[in-house]
Amino acid sequence: MNKITNHDQLLQLEHPFVKIPLEKFKSSLKVSQKHIEKEISTLTNTVSDISKKSQQGDMNPAEVEKALEAIVHRLSNLKRRLKDTRAEESLYSQRTKVRLQHLQEFTTIPTLDSDGFGRWSRVRLNRILVDYMLREGFRETAALLAKSEGIEEMVDIELFVQSRKVEQALQRFSCTECLQWCHENKSNLKKIKSTLEFSLREQEFIELVRKRQTQEAIAYARKHLIVWQETHMREIKKVMGLLAFPPSTNCQPYKGLYDASRWKKLIARFRADNFALQCFTPEPILNVTLQAGLSALKTPMCYIDEHRNVNCPVCDGETLGALATDLPLSHHLNSTIVCRISGQIMNEDNLPMVLPNGYVYSYNALMEMASMNNGKATCPRTGAVYDISQIKKVFIS
Amino acid sequence: MNAFVDDYEKISKRQRTLETNDPLDRLIALVNTAKDKIHDDPNSVQTALTGLGKMVKSVSSSIQDDHKELQSSLSKFTKALDKKYSCDMMAAMNPRAFDNKEKLLQKTIALHFIRQGNFTIGDAFAKEAGLDVPDELRHQFMDMFDIVAAMKTDDLEPALQWAKLHRPELEKRGSSLEFKLHRQRFLQLLKQKKDKLAIEYAQTHFGYFGFRHTAEISRLMCSVLFMGRLMTSPYADLLTPGTAADIQHMFTRDFCSLIGLSCESPLYLSVTVGTQALPAMIKMASIMKAKKAEWSQESEMAVESNLTDDTKFHSIFVCPVSKEQATDDNPPMMMVCGHVICKESLQKLCRGSQNLRFKCPYCPQESMASQAKNVYF
Repeated sequence: MNKITNHDQLLQLEHPFVKIPLEKFKSSLKVSQKHIEKEISTLTNTVSDISKKSQQGDMNPAEVEKALEAIVHRLSNLKRRLKDTRAEESLYSQRTKVRLQHLQEFTTIPTLDSDGFGRWSRVRLNRILVDYMLREGFRETAALLAKSEGIEEMVDIELFVQSRKVEQALQRFSCTECLQWCHENKSNLKKIKSTLEFSLREQEFIELVRKRQTQEAIAYARKHLIVWQETHMREIKKVMGLLAFPPSTNCQPYKGLYDASRWKKLIARFRADNFALQCFTPEPILNVTLQAGLSALKTPMCYIDEHRNVNCPVCDGETLGALATDLPLSHHLNSTIVCRISGQIMNEDNLPMVLPNGYVYSYNALMEMASMNNGKATCPRTGAVYDISQIKKVFIS
Repeated sequence: MNAFVDDYEKISKRQRTLETNDPLDRLIALVNTAKDKIHDDPNSVQTALTGLGKMVKSVSSSIQDDHKELQSSLSKFTKALDKKYSCDMMAAMNPRAFDNKEKLLQKTIALHFIRQGNFTIGDAFAKEAGLDVPDELRHQFMDMFDIVAAMKTDDLEPALQWAKLHRPELEKRGSSLEFKLHRQRFLQLLKQKKDKLAIEYAQTHFGYFGFRHTAEISRLMCSVLFMGRLMTSPYADLLTPGTAADIQHMFTRDFCSLIGLSCESPLYLSVTVGTQALPAMIKMASIMKAKKAEWSQESEMAVESNLTDDTKFHSIFVCPVSKEQATDDNPPMMMVCGHVICKESLQKLCRGSQNLRFKCPYCPQESMASQAKNVYF
């Protein structure tokens, strides 16, 4: 029995899983709050205004009626506007709930060998696979998998729709969509000290210079770069220097500023900022967990043909083994001896026995072999045949 | 976690009341009533308006209170959640380790779906990621899942056919799958109270296995005597509901082993092991960070992961004297008494001399380095 003793530690890995819809819920509440506050303060003002005017005789009852009708109209408008954010609130609130319940279910699983653990882990694998696919742009499969496994509320398909548009625009060398996104998330970007907007402005400036539209470029810099002078004066000076060099220049750093690879960097920075804002981990959870798992399993033997084990993921040199080459090896403080006949672990219940040729196998495997072969055991690695009476206990501490 | 679920339930209730019982409707109703009142009786303008002003004030402050309360309980909840569960997962990973290996990872994912019998998703993914999935593997797993599907409906025939076809390979691996399948069929007949058929079945099929499974066969035949009341007989264990699932597992394991694959999806296994290993790795990474010490991540992890027995695939010998892992240059050596230590430790104990008698560090017996033998795990 492999008891799970660290439920809470394992749940730490699921922090982003709950945090993502929770933050969406919070920010959408903030939006409706803002709308309501604004509308209510105008409402109270208008009502007292009407009341004053009618008292002073500046408004007759019919006019009052009309004014009240206008208020009703405004309120209904607000109600309509709130409908969307309310729907969003209820969507993300529901998701948070479902996810919390999924995690609670985990705390009721006692052991790693139970069926419940297998089921839960498979759901988890599927949802982190959907996350991976969304990040890598495999949207169709992601949606198909989420639907067929019934885990739509545990994945965030729609959160990738907008970011996808921005990324595609950047791939087309257009900053407009990304700048718009920066504008929408201005206060949050400030919180994480993002300088993405400056880099975008810089890029638009570079593009103007590339087209040799010098006047426009200078006007653009006056309007959009100079606002960053307090923090980014050095960069501004550098990029302004570009005006003196044609796009064909070989002089650094100007050659680098003209380079198209800057667009790739912009995409990467947008992704990083977008993930940070929405509480996504910078790298897919799949990669994080897979790296940990491969490291924990990786031994020097995985890469030596005669020691390969088909059941070991790292021993497959064509997939996971190749993926694990740059990862650290597992660390061991104690010996583990695995029987090469039965695959079982040798311990006090299944003692390690040594054949006269020095090869070690488990007691159970050798005895079973001997019972079917008239008391003879064959060493599967050397082909040597011995009588079972020749085996000897070996002590591994 | 239970406390969080309960707390959240309260929050979501609040959210639902806001949604279903929209306070804006109340405001609209108020304004409408005042308007109707003025329409019916133009003289009541003043009283209606003052009344409305008061009502609007009280309703709007209650709306704002509701909202604020919801928001503050939500942010309290988030803070508690962050405090208990947030961790720096990224500290435990090397973001460069999978560079330029996207295709390898994607291939692993596509194969994973095929191994799960989820061919639709596997194909969709392979198409979207531009991968080629070997047709042969696909067909093999399709066959396997067809047989498993039949087993799930208690139809063992396809599995039996497969086992018979691969009898020599299975026997070489010491698998008793074919016998276990016959045994299962026999028990099915017994459960249906067809004792005559069951005995006939045993006569036709059990003979071949007489040599290897004598005891089990006599037990099975004896259970016929208790047909109809097996549950209260000494043979109740034959009917445990787990057996059908066990035999399915046995079949998939043997099937995969015959085509040279692991019985569990390597991706699933690695991710599950990774989940177990991560908490300790994260903790270690954050301690390292706090101490500003660098662990040379290159070669070996800083912490031992406690693997379960079914995820240990290789023998690892750690010398009990030097605490170092054995290598080709420093292999494990067995002394005459049967205790094993690494060659370097042995050299130190005998002070470099092959014929000096020394005491084993773990038992009283004395021996010489020349008597020690290489062992292979």
